[in-house]
Amino acid sequence: MLIRVEDLSYTYAPGTPLERVALQGVNLEIGPGERVGVLGPTGSGKSTLVQHLAGLLEPTAGQVWLDGVAAHARTAAARARRQRVGLAFQYPEDQIFEQTVFREVAFGPRYLGLGEAEITARVRWALEMVGLDSPTMEGRMPLTLSGGEMRRVALAGILAMRPEVLILDEPTAGLDPRGRRELLGRVQAWQEQIGFTLVLVSHNLGELARVAERAVVLARGQVVADGSARQVLSDGESLRAAGLDVPQTVALLQALRQAGWEVRTDRLLPEEAVAEIVQAAKLRLVKSVSHPSLGPISDRARREEARL
Amino acid sequence: MNLLLPGMYVAADSALHRLDPRVKMGAALLLMAVPFAIQHLASILLLSALVAAITYLSAAPLPALARTLRTVLGLGFFMFVFYLFTTPGRPLVTVGKIVMTWEGLGAAATQVYRLCLLVVLSAILTFTTSPAQLAHGLEALLGPLTRIGLPVREFALVLTIALRFVPTLFEEIDKIAKAQRARGADPGAGGVRQRVRGWTSVFVPIFISAFRRAEELATAMEARGFRGAQQRTRLYQLRLTRRDLVAALVVVAACLAIVGLERLR
Repeated sequence: MLIRVEDLSYTYAPGTPLERVALQGVNLEIGPGERVGVLGPTGSGKSTLVQHLAGLLEPTAGQVWLDGVAAHARTAAARARRQRVGLAFQYPEDQIFEQTVFREVAFGPRYLGLGEAEITARVRWALEMVGLDSPTMEGRMPLTLSGGEMRRVALAGILAMRPEVLILDEPTAGLDPRGRRELLGRVQAWQEQIGFTLVLVSHNLGELARVAERAVVLARGQVVADGSARQVLSDGESLRAAGLDVPQTVALLQALRQAGWEVRTDRLLPEEAVAEIVQAAKLRLVKSVSHPSLGPISDRARREEARL
Repeated sequence: MNLLLPGMYVAADSALHRLDPRVKMGAALLLMAVPFAIQHLASILLLSALVAAITYLSAAPLPALARTLRTVLGLGFFMFVFYLFTTPGRPLVTVGKIVMTWEGLGAAATQVYRLCLLVVLSAILTFTTSPAQLAHGLEALLGPLTRIGLPVREFALVLTIALRFVPTLFEEIDKIAKAQRARGADPGAGGVRQRVRGWTSVFVPIFISAFRRAEELATAMEARGFRGAQQRTRLYQLRLTRRDLVAALVVVAACLAIVGLERLR
Protein backbone atom coordinates (compact mmCIF):
# COMPACT_ATOMS: atom_id res chain seq x y z
CA MET A 1 0.00 0.00 0.00
CA LEU A 2 1.20 3.50 -0.84
CA ILE A 3 0.82 5.98 1.99
CA ARG A 4 0.92 9.64 1.06
CA VAL A 5 0.83 12.34 3.71
CA GLU A 6 0.07 15.73 2.23
CA ASP A 7 0.51 18.99 4.14
CA LEU A 8 -0.86 17.32 7.22
CA SER A 9 -1.59 19.53 10.21
CA TYR A 10 -3.35 18.58 13.40
CA THR A 11 -4.36 20.68 16.38
CA TYR A 12 -5.60 19.23 19.65
CA ALA A 13 -8.57 20.95 21.32
CA PRO A 14 -8.83 23.78 18.80
CA GLY A 15 -10.54 26.94 20.03
CA THR A 16 -9.91 26.17 23.71
CA PRO A 17 -7.21 27.34 26.11
CA LEU A 18 -5.65 23.89 25.82
CA GLU A 19 -5.16 24.25 22.08
CA ARG A 20 -1.92 22.61 21.00
CA VAL A 21 -0.53 22.20 17.51
CA ALA A 22 0.79 18.66 17.20
CA LEU A 23 1.57 18.49 13.48
CA GLN A 24 2.30 21.26 11.07
CA GLY A 25 2.54 20.79 7.31
CA VAL A 26 3.91 17.25 7.29
CA ASN A 27 4.68 15.71 3.89
CA LEU A 28 5.69 12.09 3.63
CA GLU A 29 5.42 9.21 1.23
CA ILE A 30 5.85 5.62 2.33
CA GLY A 31 5.97 2.95 -0.35
CA PRO A 32 5.08 -0.74 -0.08
CA GLY A 33 7.58 -2.83 1.86
CA GLU A 34 9.55 0.11 3.22
CA ARG A 35 10.98 -0.04 6.73
CA VAL A 36 10.64 3.44 8.17
CA GLY A 37 11.78 4.58 11.58
CA VAL A 38 10.03 7.62 13.03
CA LEU A 39 11.96 9.39 15.75
CA GLY A 40 11.75 12.63 17.63
CA PRO A 41 11.71 13.92 21.18
CA THR A 42 8.67 13.58 23.43
CA GLY A 43 5.85 15.78 22.18
CA SER A 44 7.20 16.04 18.65
CA GLY A 45 4.05 14.54 17.13
CA LYS A 46 5.17 10.97 16.45
CA SER A 47 2.13 9.30 17.94
CA THR A 48 -0.23 11.82 16.36
CA LEU A 49 1.34 11.14 12.97
CA VAL A 50 0.97 7.37 13.16
CA GLN A 51 -2.62 7.69 14.33
CA HIS A 52 -3.31 9.62 11.17
CA LEU A 53 -1.68 6.89 9.10
CA ALA A 54 -4.19 4.47 10.60
CA GLY A 55 -7.07 6.87 9.90
CA LEU A 56 -7.87 7.30 13.59
CA LEU A 57 -7.68 11.08 13.58
CA GLU A 58 -9.21 13.53 11.18
CA PRO A 59 -6.62 16.03 9.93
CA THR A 60 -7.13 19.69 10.85
CA ALA A 61 -5.66 20.49 7.45
CA GLY A 62 -4.10 18.42 4.69
CA GLN A 63 -4.77 14.77 4.02
CA VAL A 64 -3.47 11.24 4.43
CA TRP A 65 -4.02 9.04 1.40
CA LEU A 66 -3.96 5.25 1.60
CA ASP A 67 -3.65 4.09 -2.02
CA GLY A 68 -5.37 7.32 -3.05
CA VAL A 69 -8.26 7.15 -0.55
CA ALA A 70 -8.55 9.59 2.35
CA ALA A 71 -7.60 7.56 5.43
CA HIS A 72 -10.23 8.79 7.86
CA ALA A 73 -13.19 8.89 5.41
CA ARG A 74 -16.40 7.11 6.38
CA THR A 75 -16.66 5.22 3.11
CA ALA A 76 -16.39 1.48 2.59
CA ALA A 77 -13.26 1.96 0.48
CA ALA A 78 -11.55 3.88 3.27
CA ARG A 79 -12.60 1.29 5.85
CA ALA A 80 -11.19 -1.50 3.70
CA ARG A 81 -7.88 0.37 3.44
CA ARG A 82 -7.77 1.09 7.17
CA GLN A 83 -8.23 -2.59 7.89
CA ARG A 84 -5.00 -3.22 6.01
CA VAL A 85 -3.11 -0.91 8.36
CA GLY A 86 -2.27 -2.50 11.72
CA LEU A 87 -1.36 -0.12 14.53
CA ALA A 88 -0.04 -1.18 17.92
CA PHE A 89 -0.16 1.60 20.50
CA GLN A 90 2.36 1.96 23.28
CA TYR A 91 1.91 -0.67 25.99
CA PRO A 92 -0.59 -2.65 23.90
CA GLU A 93 -0.97 -5.16 26.75
CA ASP A 94 -3.01 -2.55 28.66
CA GLN A 95 -5.72 -2.84 26.03
CA ILE A 96 -6.40 -6.54 26.33
CA PHE A 97 -10.01 -7.18 27.34
CA GLU A 98 -11.20 -10.61 26.22
CA GLN A 99 -11.57 -13.59 28.53
CA THR A 100 -9.30 -15.91 26.61
CA VAL A 101 -6.18 -15.48 24.53
CA PHE A 102 -7.96 -17.05 21.57
CA ARG A 103 -10.81 -14.55 21.63
CA GLU A 104 -8.41 -11.67 22.13
CA VAL A 105 -6.39 -12.57 19.04
CA ALA A 106 -9.54 -13.43 17.08
CA PHE A 107 -11.11 -10.01 17.75
CA GLY A 108 -9.61 -8.30 14.70
CA PRO A 109 -10.13 -11.16 12.24
CA ARG A 110 -13.77 -11.40 13.35
CA TYR A 111 -14.29 -7.79 12.32
CA LEU A 112 -12.78 -8.67 8.94
CA GLY A 113 -15.79 -10.94 8.49
CA LEU A 114 -13.79 -14.14 8.13
CA GLY A 115 -15.16 -17.65 8.54
CA GLU A 116 -14.63 -19.59 11.78
CA ALA A 117 -12.04 -21.96 10.23
CA GLU A 118 -10.04 -19.09 8.80
CA ILE A 119 -10.17 -17.25 12.13
CA THR A 120 -8.83 -20.27 13.98
CA ALA A 121 -6.06 -20.70 11.44
CA ARG A 122 -5.08 -17.06 11.76
CA VAL A 123 -5.06 -17.14 15.55
CA ARG A 124 -2.78 -20.18 15.51
CA TRP A 125 -0.53 -18.59 12.94
CA ALA A 126 -0.32 -15.26 14.78
CA LEU A 127 0.42 -16.87 18.15
CA GLU A 128 3.15 -18.88 16.49
CA MET A 129 4.58 -15.75 14.93
CA VAL A 130 4.95 -14.08 18.32
CA GLY A 131 6.53 -17.21 19.74
CA LEU A 132 3.71 -18.45 21.94
CA ASP A 133 2.65 -22.07 21.99
CA SER A 134 -0.81 -21.90 20.50
CA PRO A 135 -2.56 -24.99 21.99
CA THR A 136 -1.56 -24.21 25.58
CA MET A 137 -2.15 -20.48 25.28
CA GLU A 138 -5.49 -20.30 23.49
CA GLY A 139 -7.67 -21.12 26.47
CA ARG A 140 -5.78 -19.09 29.05
CA MET A 141 -6.99 -15.87 30.59
CA PRO A 142 -4.85 -13.00 29.35
CA LEU A 143 -4.71 -11.45 32.82
CA THR A 144 -2.88 -14.52 34.16
CA LEU A 145 -0.03 -14.07 31.69
CA SER A 146 3.24 -12.27 32.37
CA GLY A 147 3.72 -8.75 31.03
CA GLY A 148 5.93 -9.90 28.17
CA GLU A 149 3.47 -12.62 27.20
CA MET A 150 0.60 -10.17 27.29
CA ARG A 151 2.42 -7.82 24.97
CA ARG A 152 3.04 -10.67 22.56
CA VAL A 153 -0.63 -11.65 22.68
CA ALA A 154 -1.57 -8.05 21.93
CA LEU A 155 0.79 -7.95 18.97
CA ALA A 156 -0.56 -11.30 17.76
CA GLY A 157 -4.00 -9.71 17.76
CA ILE A 158 -2.75 -7.20 15.22
CA LEU A 159 -0.70 -9.65 13.15
CA ALA A 160 -3.75 -11.88 12.87
CA MET A 161 -5.36 -9.20 10.73
CA ARG A 162 -2.52 -9.70 8.24
CA PRO A 163 -1.88 -5.99 7.78
CA GLU A 164 -0.05 -4.68 4.73
CA VAL A 165 1.28 -1.89 6.89
CA LEU A 166 2.39 -2.57 10.44
CA ILE A 167 2.85 0.44 12.68
CA LEU A 168 4.49 -0.12 16.04
CA ASP A 169 4.52 2.78 18.50
CA GLU A 170 7.41 2.21 20.92
CA PRO A 171 7.01 -1.57 20.84
CA THR A 172 9.90 -2.23 23.21
CA ALA A 173 9.04 0.38 25.85
CA GLY A 174 9.29 -1.10 29.33
CA LEU A 175 11.03 -4.31 28.26
CA ASP A 176 14.44 -5.39 29.54
CA PRO A 177 17.38 -5.36 27.07
CA ARG A 178 16.92 -9.02 26.28
CA GLY A 179 13.19 -8.63 25.74
CA ARG A 180 13.88 -5.69 23.46
CA ARG A 181 16.37 -7.61 21.35
CA GLU A 182 14.05 -10.57 21.10
CA LEU A 183 11.03 -8.52 20.08
CA LEU A 184 12.98 -6.53 17.51
CA GLY A 185 14.41 -9.74 16.10
CA ARG A 186 10.87 -11.02 15.68
CA VAL A 187 9.69 -7.82 14.03
CA GLN A 188 12.58 -8.07 11.57
CA ALA A 189 11.79 -11.70 10.88
CA TRP A 190 8.09 -10.95 10.26
CA GLN A 191 9.00 -8.14 7.94
CA GLU A 192 11.32 -10.36 5.92
CA GLN A 193 8.85 -13.19 5.83
CA ILE A 194 5.66 -11.24 5.09
CA GLY A 195 7.13 -8.16 3.44
CA PHE A 196 4.72 -5.66 4.96
CA THR A 197 5.50 -1.97 5.23
CA LEU A 198 6.93 -1.32 8.67
CA VAL A 199 6.65 1.97 10.51
CA LEU A 200 8.52 1.88 13.79
CA VAL A 201 8.25 4.72 16.29
CA SER A 202 11.02 4.83 18.83
CA HIS A 203 13.39 7.13 20.55
CA ASN A 204 15.94 4.41 20.93
CA LEU A 205 18.17 5.20 17.98
CA GLY A 206 20.18 2.00 18.27
CA GLU A 207 16.93 0.08 17.84
CA LEU A 208 15.88 2.06 14.80
CA ALA A 209 19.32 1.64 13.26
CA ARG A 210 18.90 -2.11 13.42
CA VAL A 211 15.44 -2.33 11.90
CA ALA A 212 14.81 0.71 9.72
CA GLU A 213 16.31 1.46 6.34
CA ARG A 214 14.82 4.93 6.31
CA ALA A 215 14.52 7.42 9.15
CA VAL A 216 12.14 10.35 9.52
CA VAL A 217 12.87 12.87 12.27
CA LEU A 218 10.05 14.93 13.74
CA ALA A 219 10.55 18.01 15.87
CA ARG A 220 7.83 20.41 17.00
CA GLY A 221 5.35 18.75 14.66
CA GLN A 222 7.43 19.10 11.53
CA VAL A 223 9.62 16.73 9.52
CA VAL A 224 13.15 18.02 10.00
CA ALA A 225 15.01 15.13 8.38
CA ASP A 226 14.02 12.28 6.08
CA GLY A 227 16.50 9.98 4.41
CA SER A 228 18.40 6.73 4.68
CA ALA A 229 18.75 5.65 8.30
CA ARG A 230 22.54 5.66 7.98
CA GLN A 231 22.65 9.22 6.76
CA VAL A 232 20.01 10.65 9.11
CA LEU A 233 21.16 8.89 12.27
CA SER A 234 24.81 9.86 11.86
CA ASP A 235 24.06 13.52 11.22
CA GLY A 236 24.82 14.77 14.71
CA GLU A 237 24.05 18.37 13.98
CA SER A 238 20.52 17.95 12.72
CA LEU A 239 19.73 15.34 15.39
CA ARG A 240 20.86 17.68 18.13
CA ALA A 241 18.90 20.53 16.57
CA ALA A 242 15.83 18.31 16.79
CA GLY A 243 16.54 17.67 20.46
CA LEU A 244 17.96 14.16 20.08
CA ASP A 245 21.31 12.55 20.75
CA VAL A 246 23.26 10.63 18.13
CA PRO A 247 23.41 6.84 18.53
CA GLN A 248 26.12 5.75 20.96
CA THR A 249 28.19 4.13 18.21
CA VAL A 250 28.21 7.37 16.23
CA ALA A 251 29.17 9.36 19.33
CA LEU A 252 32.10 7.01 19.96
CA LEU A 253 33.29 7.16 16.35
CA GLN A 254 33.01 10.94 16.32
CA ALA A 255 35.14 11.15 19.46
CA LEU A 256 37.75 8.88 17.89
CA ARG A 257 37.75 10.97 14.77
CA GLN A 258 38.36 14.08 16.81
CA ALA A 259 41.30 12.31 18.42
CA GLY A 260 42.80 11.87 14.98
CA TRP A 261 41.57 8.40 14.07
CA GLU A 262 40.57 7.84 10.50
CA VAL A 263 37.16 6.31 11.01
CA ARG A 264 33.86 6.78 9.23
CA THR A 265 31.23 8.01 11.66
CA ASP A 266 28.14 6.60 9.97
CA ARG A 267 28.36 3.14 11.53
CA LEU A 268 25.13 2.65 13.50
CA LEU A 269 25.27 -0.91 14.76
CA PRO A 270 27.74 -1.97 17.45
CA GLU A 271 29.22 -4.69 15.27
CA GLU A 272 29.71 -2.27 12.39
CA ALA A 273 31.38 0.22 14.72
CA VAL A 274 33.64 -2.49 16.12
CA ALA A 275 34.70 -3.50 12.61
CA GLU A 276 35.40 0.13 11.73
CA ILE A 277 37.48 0.69 14.84
CA VAL A 278 39.44 -2.54 14.41
CA GLN A 279 40.24 -1.59 10.85
CA ALA A 280 41.34 1.91 11.82
CA ALA A 281 43.45 0.53 14.64
CA LYS A 282 45.19 -1.84 12.22
CA LEU A 283 45.82 1.02 9.87
CA ARG A 284 47.34 3.10 12.66
CA LEU A 285 49.52 0.23 13.78
CA VAL A 286 50.73 -0.34 10.25
CA LYS A 287 51.47 3.34 9.79
CA SER A 288 53.33 3.62 13.04
CA VAL A 289 55.74 0.85 12.03
CA SER A 290 56.05 1.85 8.40
CA HIS A 291 59.03 4.15 8.83
CA PRO A 292 61.23 4.34 5.69
CA SER A 293 64.29 3.18 7.61
CA LEU A 294 62.55 -0.05 8.40
CA GLY A 295 62.63 -1.05 4.75
CA PRO A 296 61.01 -4.43 4.29
CA ILE A 297 58.38 -3.82 6.91
CA SER A 298 57.19 -0.70 5.12
CA ASP A 299 56.72 -2.77 1.98
CA ARG A 300 54.59 -5.11 3.96
CA ALA A 301 52.78 -2.15 5.43
CA ARG A 302 52.02 -0.70 2.04
CA ARG A 303 50.68 -4.02 0.89
CA GLU A 304 48.61 -4.24 4.02
CA GLU A 305 47.36 -0.72 3.54
CA ALA A 306 46.40 -1.46 -0.04
CA ARG A 307 44.56 -4.54 1.09
CA LEU A 308 42.63 -2.59 3.68
CA MET B 1 -3.95 13.80 24.25
CA ASN B 2 -5.36 17.12 25.32
CA LEU B 3 -9.04 17.53 25.66
CA LEU B 4 -11.15 20.12 27.32
CA LEU B 5 -14.01 18.43 29.05
CA PRO B 6 -17.10 20.53 29.69
CA GLY B 7 -16.40 22.50 32.83
CA MET B 8 -12.74 21.63 33.18
CA TYR B 9 -10.54 23.98 35.21
CA VAL B 10 -8.70 26.53 33.10
CA ALA B 11 -5.65 28.00 34.79
CA ALA B 12 -5.63 31.78 34.50
CA ASP B 13 -5.28 34.83 36.70
CA SER B 14 -8.66 36.51 36.60
CA ALA B 15 -10.44 38.32 39.39
CA LEU B 16 -12.55 35.22 39.94
CA HIS B 17 -9.59 32.87 39.95
CA ARG B 18 -8.15 34.77 42.89
CA LEU B 19 -11.30 34.58 45.03
CA ASP B 20 -11.61 32.25 47.97
CA PRO B 21 -13.30 29.01 46.89
CA ARG B 22 -15.79 29.23 49.77
CA VAL B 23 -16.98 32.62 48.55
CA LYS B 24 -17.25 31.38 44.99
CA MET B 25 -19.21 28.29 45.98
CA GLY B 26 -21.53 30.24 48.22
CA ALA B 27 -22.11 32.89 45.58
CA ALA B 28 -22.73 30.27 42.90
CA LEU B 29 -25.32 28.53 45.10
CA LEU B 30 -27.05 31.81 45.89
CA LEU B 31 -27.13 32.88 42.25
CA MET B 32 -28.48 29.50 41.25
CA ALA B 33 -31.34 29.91 43.70
CA VAL B 34 -32.33 33.43 42.58
CA PRO B 35 -34.01 32.47 39.27
CA PHE B 36 -36.43 30.31 41.25
CA ALA B 37 -37.59 33.39 43.19
CA ILE B 38 -38.19 35.74 40.28
CA GLN B 39 -40.64 35.87 37.40
CA HIS B 40 -40.70 39.34 35.91
CA LEU B 41 -38.75 40.17 32.81
CA ALA B 42 -37.00 43.14 34.45
CA SER B 43 -35.55 41.02 37.27
CA ILE B 44 -34.58 38.32 34.82
CA LEU B 45 -32.73 40.85 32.71
CA LEU B 46 -30.98 42.23 35.79
CA LEU B 47 -29.90 38.78 36.88
CA SER B 48 -28.68 38.01 33.37
CA ALA B 49 -26.63 41.20 33.39
CA LEU B 50 -25.12 40.21 36.73
CA VAL B 51 -24.19 36.75 35.47
CA ALA B 52 -22.77 38.28 32.28
CA ALA B 53 -20.60 40.58 34.36
CA ILE B 54 -19.36 37.62 36.41
CA THR B 55 -18.62 35.71 33.22
CA TYR B 56 -16.63 38.66 31.98
CA LEU B 57 -14.64 38.86 35.22
CA SER B 58 -13.91 35.14 35.13
CA ALA B 59 -12.08 35.44 31.79
CA ALA B 60 -13.84 32.16 30.96
CA PRO B 61 -13.21 31.20 27.32
CA LEU B 62 -16.55 31.75 25.60
CA PRO B 63 -16.22 28.87 23.09
CA ALA B 64 -15.60 26.49 25.98
CA LEU B 65 -18.62 27.92 27.79
CA ALA B 66 -20.71 27.39 24.68
CA ARG B 67 -19.51 23.79 24.48
CA THR B 68 -20.55 23.28 28.07
CA LEU B 69 -24.01 24.65 27.32
CA ARG B 70 -24.26 22.35 24.33
CA THR B 71 -24.08 19.34 26.64
CA VAL B 72 -27.55 20.20 27.99
CA LEU B 73 -28.97 21.07 24.57
CA GLY B 74 -31.00 17.87 24.40
CA LEU B 75 -32.32 18.21 27.95
CA GLY B 76 -33.16 21.88 27.36
CA PHE B 77 -35.05 21.08 24.20
CA PHE B 78 -36.99 18.33 25.92
CA MET B 79 -37.89 20.61 28.82
CA PHE B 80 -38.97 23.36 26.46
CA VAL B 81 -41.27 21.09 24.48
CA PHE B 82 -42.60 19.44 27.65
CA TYR B 83 -43.63 22.71 29.32
CA LEU B 84 -44.88 24.17 26.05
CA PHE B 85 -47.49 21.46 25.59
CA THR B 86 -48.39 20.48 29.15
CA THR B 87 -49.05 23.86 30.74
CA PRO B 88 -52.75 24.70 30.78
CA GLY B 89 -53.81 28.24 29.76
CA ARG B 90 -54.79 30.38 26.81
CA PRO B 91 -54.27 28.47 23.59
CA LEU B 92 -51.62 29.79 21.22
CA VAL B 93 -51.67 27.12 18.55
CA THR B 94 -53.98 24.12 18.39
CA VAL B 95 -53.21 21.10 16.26
CA GLY B 96 -55.92 18.51 16.72
CA LYS B 97 -55.78 17.50 20.39
CA ILE B 98 -52.40 19.07 21.00
CA VAL B 99 -52.60 22.56 22.49
CA MET B 100 -49.73 24.98 22.77
CA THR B 101 -50.44 27.74 25.31
CA TRP B 102 -49.15 31.23 26.03
CA GLU B 103 -48.52 30.21 29.61
CA GLY B 104 -46.69 27.15 28.30
CA LEU B 105 -44.42 29.35 26.22
CA GLY B 106 -43.63 31.45 29.29
CA ALA B 107 -43.06 28.44 31.55
CA ALA B 108 -40.92 26.72 28.95
CA ALA B 109 -38.73 29.79 28.49
CA THR B 110 -38.36 30.21 32.26
CA GLN B 111 -37.36 26.59 32.78
CA VAL B 112 -34.78 26.65 30.01
CA TYR B 113 -33.44 29.94 31.36
CA ARG B 114 -32.99 28.40 34.80
CA LEU B 115 -31.25 25.40 33.31
CA CYS B 116 -28.86 27.56 31.29
CA LEU B 117 -28.06 29.70 34.31
CA LEU B 118 -27.34 26.62 36.40
CA VAL B 119 -24.99 25.28 33.76
CA VAL B 120 -23.23 28.59 33.16
CA LEU B 121 -22.73 29.29 36.86
CA SER B 122 -21.39 25.85 37.66
CA ALA B 123 -19.17 25.99 34.59
CA ILE B 124 -17.72 29.32 35.69
CA LEU B 125 -17.17 27.91 39.16
CA THR B 126 -15.22 24.95 37.81
CA PHE B 127 -13.43 27.01 35.16
CA THR B 128 -12.03 29.33 37.81
CA THR B 129 -11.54 26.94 40.73
CA SER B 130 -9.05 24.09 40.61
CA PRO B 131 -10.28 20.69 41.80
CA ALA B 132 -8.04 20.95 44.84
CA GLN B 133 -9.52 24.32 45.76
CA LEU B 134 -13.04 23.04 45.19
CA ALA B 135 -12.47 20.15 47.54
CA HIS B 136 -10.80 22.43 50.08
CA GLY B 137 -13.70 24.87 49.92
CA LEU B 138 -16.23 22.09 50.23
CA GLU B 139 -14.39 20.68 53.21
CA ALA B 140 -14.41 24.10 54.86
CA LEU B 141 -18.10 24.70 54.12
CA LEU B 142 -19.14 21.26 55.33
CA GLY B 143 -16.69 21.38 58.24
CA PRO B 144 -19.38 21.73 60.93
CA LEU B 145 -20.80 18.34 59.89
CA THR B 146 -17.72 16.59 61.36
CA ARG B 147 -19.28 17.37 64.76
CA ILE B 148 -22.12 14.99 64.03
CA GLY B 149 -19.66 12.31 62.93
CA LEU B 150 -19.66 12.74 59.17
CA PRO B 151 -16.24 12.02 57.59
CA VAL B 152 -16.07 15.35 55.76
CA ARG B 153 -12.30 15.44 55.44
CA GLU B 154 -12.12 11.95 54.01
CA PHE B 155 -14.92 12.84 51.66
CA ALA B 156 -13.01 15.92 50.47
CA LEU B 157 -9.91 13.83 49.94
CA VAL B 158 -11.83 11.25 47.95
CA LEU B 159 -13.33 14.05 45.88
CA THR B 160 -9.91 15.59 45.18
CA ILE B 161 -8.46 12.27 44.09
CA ALA B 162 -11.48 11.40 41.98
CA LEU B 163 -11.41 14.75 40.20
CA ARG B 164 -7.71 14.42 39.59
CA PHE B 165 -8.24 11.13 37.76
CA VAL B 166 -11.14 12.21 35.58
CA PRO B 167 -8.97 13.55 32.73
CA THR B 168 -6.68 10.53 33.03
CA LEU B 169 -9.63 8.19 32.67
CA PHE B 170 -10.94 10.06 29.67
CA GLU B 171 -7.55 9.93 28.02
CA GLU B 172 -7.41 6.23 28.63
CA ILE B 173 -10.90 5.65 27.26
CA ASP B 174 -9.95 7.58 24.14
CA LYS B 175 -6.76 5.60 23.72
CA ILE B 176 -8.43 2.23 24.12
CA ALA B 177 -11.33 3.17 21.87
CA LYS B 178 -8.76 4.08 19.26
CA ALA B 179 -6.92 0.81 19.73
CA GLN B 180 -10.23 -0.99 19.18
CA ARG B 181 -10.90 1.00 16.05
CA ALA B 182 -7.40 0.15 14.83
CA ARG B 183 -8.52 -3.48 15.03
CA GLY B 184 -11.62 -2.86 12.97
CA ALA B 185 -14.17 -2.29 15.73
CA ASP B 186 -16.10 0.92 16.24
CA PRO B 187 -17.30 1.17 19.85
CA GLY B 188 -19.86 3.89 19.13
CA ALA B 189 -21.43 2.36 16.04
CA GLY B 190 -23.73 -0.46 14.99
CA GLY B 191 -26.79 -1.90 16.64
CA VAL B 192 -27.37 -2.04 20.39
CA ARG B 193 -25.73 -5.45 20.72
CA GLN B 194 -22.64 -4.39 18.85
CA ARG B 195 -22.38 -1.20 20.84
CA VAL B 196 -22.66 -2.98 24.17
CA ARG B 197 -19.99 -5.39 22.97
CA GLY B 198 -17.87 -2.53 21.69
CA TRP B 199 -18.00 -0.57 24.93
CA THR B 200 -17.37 -3.71 26.94
CA SER B 201 -14.09 -4.07 25.13
CA VAL B 202 -13.25 -0.51 26.11
CA PHE B 203 -14.35 -0.59 29.74
CA VAL B 204 -12.80 -3.89 30.78
CA PRO B 205 -9.25 -2.57 30.33
CA ILE B 206 -10.29 0.75 31.87
CA PHE B 207 -11.53 -0.93 35.05
CA ILE B 208 -8.47 -3.11 35.26
CA SER B 209 -6.16 -0.13 35.02
CA ALA B 210 -8.30 1.93 37.40
CA PHE B 211 -8.03 -0.74 40.09
CA ARG B 212 -4.31 -1.05 39.49
CA ARG B 213 -3.94 2.72 39.71
CA ALA B 214 -5.93 2.83 42.94
CA GLU B 215 -3.74 0.20 44.50
CA GLU B 216 -0.56 1.95 43.45
CA LEU B 217 -1.83 5.26 44.73
CA ALA B 218 -2.77 3.75 48.08
CA THR B 219 0.67 2.22 48.41
CA ALA B 220 2.33 5.50 47.45
CA MET B 221 0.26 7.40 50.01
CA GLU B 222 1.12 4.97 52.76
CA ALA B 223 4.77 5.05 51.76
CA ARG B 224 4.65 8.78 52.32
CA GLY B 225 3.14 8.41 55.76
CA PHE B 226 -0.58 8.84 55.13
CA ARG B 227 -2.57 7.63 58.12
CA GLY B 228 -6.13 8.73 57.49
CA ALA B 229 -7.35 12.25 56.89
CA GLN B 230 -7.96 13.22 60.53
CA GLN B 231 -4.40 14.07 61.46
CA ARG B 232 -3.67 15.95 58.28
CA THR B 233 -3.09 19.66 58.27
CA ARG B 234 -3.19 21.95 55.29
CA LEU B 235 -0.16 23.54 53.69
CA TYR B 236 -2.35 26.28 52.27
CA GLN B 237 -4.89 27.70 54.67
CA LEU B 238 -7.95 29.43 53.32
CA ARG B 239 -8.02 33.03 54.44
CA LEU B 240 -10.69 35.54 53.56
CA THR B 241 -9.24 38.77 52.19
CA ARG B 242 -10.92 42.08 51.67
CA ARG B 243 -11.45 41.18 48.05
CA ASP B 244 -13.43 38.12 49.15
CA LEU B 245 -15.58 40.10 51.54
CA VAL B 246 -16.33 42.73 48.93
CA ALA B 247 -17.20 40.10 46.35
CA ALA B 248 -19.49 38.30 48.78
CA LEU B 249 -21.20 41.56 49.76
CA VAL B 250 -21.71 42.61 46.14
CA VAL B 251 -23.26 39.27 45.17
CA VAL B 252 -25.52 39.10 48.21
CA ALA B 253 -26.61 42.74 47.77
CA ALA B 254 -27.29 42.22 44.08
CA CYS B 255 -29.33 39.08 44.72
CA LEU B 256 -31.34 40.81 47.44
CA ALA B 257 -31.95 43.75 45.14
CA ILE B 258 -33.15 41.53 42.33
CA VAL B 259 -35.48 39.53 44.54
CA GLY B 260 -36.60 42.74 46.30
CA LEU B 261 -37.43 44.37 43.00
CA GLU B 262 -39.58 41.36 42.26
CA ARG B 263 -41.49 41.71 45.54
CA LEU B 264 -42.09 45.46 45.10
CA ARG B 265 -44.22 44.99 42.05
